[in-house]
Amino acid sequence: MTDTGRPAGQPPAGGRILVLIDGSRTSYGALEAAADIAGKRDADILGVFVEELNLLRSAGYGFSREVGSASGISRPLDPEILQRRMRRLADHARAALAGAVKQHGGRAALSVARGRVIDEVLALAGPDDLLVLGRAGWSSPAGARLGSTARGLIQQSPGQVLLWCEQKLPSPNRVVVFLNDHDEANHRATLAAAEISRHYHQPVTIILGNDGEPAADQLDAIRQDLDVLGAGTRLRIISDTDPVSIARMLREERASQLVISRRCALFDEPGAEHLLAALNLPVTVTP
Amino acid sequence: MTLPTPLTPDQVYHRCPLDQLDFSTTDSLEDLELPCGQERVLRALEFGASMQADGFNLFVLGPAGAGKHELVERFLARHADQQPVPSDWCHVHNFEFPDRPRAIRLAAGEGRQLKKDMNDLSGELRTAIPAAFESEEYQARLQELQEEMTKRQHQGLYDIQEEANANNIAMITTPAGFTFAPMRNGEVIDPEEYKKFSDEEKELIESKVEELQKKLQQNIQQIPRLRKEVRERVHALNEEMVQLTLGGPIGELREKWQHLPEVVEHLDAIREDVVEHAEAFEDTGNGPPTGLLGRYRINLLVDNSETTGAPVIYEDLPNHQHLTGQIEHRARQGTLYTDFTLIKGGAVHRANGGYLIIDARRILSQPMAWESLKRILFSSEIRIESLERLYGLASTISLQPEPIPVTVKVVLLGDRILYYLLSHYDPDFLDLFKVEADFEDDLNRDDDSYGLYARMIATMARHLKCRPLGRDAVARLIEQASRLAADQRKLTAHDRVLRDLISEADHWANKAGMATIGVDQVQQAIDEREFRASRIRERSREQIARGIVMIATEGETVGQVNGLSVLKLGASMFGQPTRITATARPGKAQVVDIEREAKLGGPIHSKAVMILSRFLASHYAGEGELSLSASLAFEQSYGGVEGDSASVAETCVLLSAISRLPLRQSLAVTGSMNQHGEVQAVGGVNEKIEGFFDVCREAGKVHGQGVILPASNVEHLMLNSDVRKAIADGDFSIYPVSHINQAIELLTGMEAGEPDENGEFPEASFNRAVANRLFQFAEVSKKQDDSEGSIDSNGGAGRD
Repeated sequence: MTDTGRPAGQPPAGGRILVLIDGSRTSYGALEAAADIAGKRDADILGVFVEELNLLRSAGYGFSREVGSASGISRPLDPEILQRRMRRLADHARAALAGAVKQHGGRAALSVARGRVIDEVLALAGPDDLLVLGRAGWSSPAGARLGSTARGLIQQSPGQVLLWCEQKLPSPNRVVVFLNDHDEANHRATLAAAEISRHYHQPVTIILGNDGEPAADQLDAIRQDLDVLGAGTRLRIISDTDPVSIARMLREERASQLVISRRCALFDEPGAEHLLAALNLPVTVTP
Repeated sequence: MTLPTPLTPDQVYHRCPLDQLDFSTTDSLEDLELPCGQERVLRALEFGASMQADGFNLFVLGPAGAGKHELVERFLARHADQQPVPSDWCHVHNFEFPDRPRAIRLAAGEGRQLKKDMNDLSGELRTAIPAAFESEEYQARLQELQEEMTKRQHQGLYDIQEEANANNIAMITTPAGFTFAPMRNGEVIDPEEYKKFSDEEKELIESKVEELQKKLQQNIQQIPRLRKEVRERVHALNEEMVQLTLGGPIGELREKWQHLPEVVEHLDAIREDVVEHAEAFEDTGNGPPTGLLGRYRINLLVDNSETTGAPVIYEDLPNHQHLTGQIEHRARQGTLYTDFTLIKGGAVHRANGGYLIIDARRILSQPMAWESLKRILFSSEIRIESLERLYGLASTISLQPEPIPVTVKVVLLGDRILYYLLSHYDPDFLDLFKVEADFEDDLNRDDDSYGLYARMIATMARHLKCRPLGRDAVARLIEQASRLAADQRKLTAHDRVLRDLISEADHWANKAGMATIGVDQVQQAIDEREFRASRIRERSREQIARGIVMIATEGETVGQVNGLSVLKLGASMFGQPTRITATARPGKAQVVDIEREAKLGGPIHSKAVMILSRFLASHYAGEGELSLSASLAFEQSYGGVEGDSASVAETCVLLSAISRLPLRQSLAVTGSMNQHGEVQAVGGVNEKIEGFFDVCREAGKVHGQGVILPASNVEHLMLNSDVRKAIADGDFSIYPVSHINQAIELLTGMEAGEPDENGEFPEASFNRAVANRLFQFAEVSKKQDDSEGSIDSNGGAGRD
């Protein structure tokens, strides 16, 4: 582990921001977002760089070759070249982390580990930590909307996960939280949305996905949450919860971020893939 | 020979007969649309303006102030009024070659309409296109397209991954791509463990890995094609949206402008361009860039919507830019840029289909302007090019607008000398300016012309917003016009002088509180003009009066006569006498022209002296020998002498010097003479006579003085009232002579004498005295020659 700005071994005061850095462009975008949040929350950042065991092992085969994701050209995969590449990426990640912290303030550390990514991250993450990662890492240029690591961590992370992605919509100005029939999960999502709304000074829209009329007590619970969310909050109820309709509504709302609980039915496989494919905005997944 | 009779006052001044002017003031006279007496110019203008063939442009030549510009403009305005209004022209953006804006011809008035239509369209595009791109329909379809692409791309990878997993092979993402390795329970097998596998197993795995790699390679290499396909489909979608959005407005415009294929073509090009730049319109935050929309507007170069008839344009500063137009530049962040909206038309654009009036001297004094005009006329098209580019001085990005075909009739106004110089030195000139419209300097003065001339004066007075002129004032102006033409049978056609006189007379009438301009005001205007220009003349007269410049106006003197000369200073002329003296003695037959020897005499003067010396030899020496060494000089003349108008005076003074007979100093002489002694007309007679009269008056009393002038000059006399009065009183005489003998008789009071059949002049005649003296000279010379010859022969014998 490498520390930046904090003496080694000292535990973080509150929830940390864990950011997964694999050297891809998306992961550096996620790092910027994480540093911004850390600055706002006054939290520490822990960068996580994992040298994936499977990758290191696959380089050890004499016959293994690497097929370029852009060119499709196949060339031998040399373990030494790979090692060097990993080291360079780690160095770069360290420098980027230091740079981001310098800009936004706070303290940061980089954890470099070797093993399976999900295992390594889960070993570091606690329930109060916010895990920030790109929606897809190295596989994004090849068209993947949701990488396998992201998919695994959404499901298994003990705390909130922010799936970062570059936004294309001009002038977004609302935080949208999607709720369904799980009250606790709804409450957690609402609180997360309230925090984001506070940080970015943006009003919140609640989208309530429901097949029929929402139950009276459910509406009461939401109304209570509306007080937390403050003035300017908007409530919309939709019955059609297919990814395209939701994406359209998010565009209409000029959403800057979506907050959703992992217990939401939308997130059941393979729905998550479709939803994320339809959306181009950061998504916070609450437990 | 009979002595000539002195002229009567009526002979020296041609009065305007008042009965020819049947009006009381010029108010009752109608305007004269075109000046009288300029038929040649008018016919040339009529022909040149109507002639359609190439190169029949006009050059109107005449002296400055002749009223060329006003006449041409008035004539052309009337002529052009009957002709059709020419087309409008505009430049539009060329979407294919942006540096070559296209030119579109439109019927007069349509240009303004098209400009409005295109501005409206541009405004509509600004809002309608972004709205279409923002629409839910477009966004949804775009999303679907992109999704499909992603799906297809991802599906391929997913399939390979599935196939690999099914064969216990892991597909692993690396920072630069993908790799395959054998796996067990979702983990890549350690390479060390793999070594323990049987060869068959290894072979199976490796061949599978190879197969998967190939598939992956193929799959990845298809991605650019997929992307391109998506791009094309997005473009097609954009096109569809734009077509739908623009369908209405562009369709309407296409229908409206269907009679002009160029406009329809341009509208289609705009539609294509909007589709191509659909992405620029998608920026809903800032809207489409102004530069993009600016390209859909038009630059209306020539707007004839309010023109009636063909245009008549006068370009008062005919430089290259003003004639051919120019391409302006704007500075943006330190760089100069231009586009088709910055093309500015020139005078030729505005005059296209009509007439362009240019001052010849001005266009010739502007760099490149004359060459540019000729190029336009030769090629019948205008090509806008900046001067700095022509000279290669600027290298900023510029445009080459499509040339505009031009049919323009150019009317150049200039002095005659310019016309003749251009004809001589510019080989293109006569090809391009085939119609010569030569202004008359003078008009005939006859009974028919009085009425017309009076109307012309009336028109001038009205144009100048002056008071009307009374009948006698018009008569005085007509007489002055004859004086200005220096001819009793002519009237000046010089517009400017007449206008100035009318304006000045109006001024004096105003001072005098008169409602109409009377003869006194006209006379005052003439006198004042003369007085203002009289400083030099008065200085010169003063010198004569004080005896500094010696002029005798009475008595008789041998070898001395009063010649008359004219000085022109600016716009005014005045005459003054000059003393001419001669000496004579025996010698080698020659007359020394002192002026020429001193290089103060011009070639015409020298010629006149040669003529008179030949006259002398042939008239008096006959077949005998002429022995004469004579000299002629203009006394107290320091500024040079030119012209032959003194040759009669020079002959008389030389004969007086030879014969030693005195000449009357009360007479001044002017006139040129040929080898036979005939007297020929000269110029400036009025000024000369008045000059001598004034000198006589200032020297004391005018009594018995006079002027000898050529008889052919009598009809040029328009003398002032003082001289006329003196003539009427018998104090001053003007003698018209047609032969040198008449001048001799007047100057000497002796008979000149005609030779008989033997060539002998009568006894006691002046010519006999001359002949006798010349004979004596010859004798003296002969004696001298003989004595020199004997000395020579003696000397020669002595030497022998």
